[in-house]
Amino acid sequence: MDAKKSVQNKRDWILATLLFVLLGGLFIAFRLFAFADEASLAHVYYGNSDEPIVTIDFINYRVISNYDQNVPSEYDDIYPVINEGQQTITLLGDYEINGERQIVVIRYDYGRKSVEIIQEQSPNNICSREGESTGWPLICLPNRIRVEFETNDEDFTV
Amino acid sequence: MTLLANFLAIAIVLNIIESAIPIIPVPGAKLGFANVVTLIIIYVYSFKDGFALTILRVLLVALLSGKLLGPIFYMSMSGAVIATLAMGLFQKLNYFGIIGVSILGSIFHCIGQIAAGIFVIGSIAVIAYLPVMLFLSIPAGVLTGIIAKRFLVIWQTWHNETA
Repeated sequence: MDAKKSVQNKRDWILATLLFVLLGGLFIAFRLFAFADEASLAHVYYGNSDEPIVTIDFINYRVISNYDQNVPSEYDDIYPVINEGQQTITLLGDYEINGERQIVVIRYDYGRKSVEIIQEQSPNNICSREGESTGWPLICLPNRIRVEFETNDEDFTV
Repeated sequence: MTLLANFLAIAIVLNIIESAIPIIPVPGAKLGFANVVTLIIIYVYSFKDGFALTILRVLLVALLSGKLLGPIFYMSMSGAVIATLAMGLFQKLNYFGIIGVSILGSIFHCIGQIAAGIFVIGSIAVIAYLPVMLFLSIPAGVLTGIIAKRFLVIWQTWHNETA
């Protein structure tokens, strides 16, 4: 019985080391190479929709609101609220505090071609900890809001 | 039966503590330390007991946190169920020791959570977090495995003494 156990024990540690190296390499490679291209657009999605609710155009310096959020009548504002001066987009998230849905504020920067979630409510405020992103998707699961970047892969041929 | 209830309570507490420590950038994802109880129950009692306990744990934690059927719940349940099934399977196969089973459970826990995350948010972009979660799940799995292994040793001695 003990011989079997020690064989298994050895396998365990081989498994652990193998996976650690493999997944570590995968993680580093992914982190270095994925989403590394410069973005041309950033799409903000809400809920299950495949259609972005707001699109930030870094090339033409504009923000396009594609449709309004379907917000219950007890909330006063019409979302999304786009503030060009402060360069923010405000959406109503899914996360509720005492039954009331909370806003999510997203800031964009044309110069740096970046997007950041600067204000939101979620367990441990984990969404706003992701910081500024220039390519990596920003995903706020509790609010069902995500920001995905689109890169321009065109060839500049005339 | 009371012992199982105690284990359930421990699992619930571990789960709540785990949620309070934001290690993973994905909102709602957990490393799966609460699975240590599932792992122990599978080895000490049976797979069915472990499975039942895990489901109960996820349900009760969701109820306690006041957010039933949210995206976090789906991720928790998905991860926990897949992890428990995987651990049960590998324990049965008896190819790996408890640490190996724990590591595999940890991996499947991540896969389950990411899968649920993709489903909840409707975009494959969630898979961006799979590499980091998988990587972190290895030490987590090793740690829970070691804890479970130690526990089993203590359990055996305790059982043999009272027998």
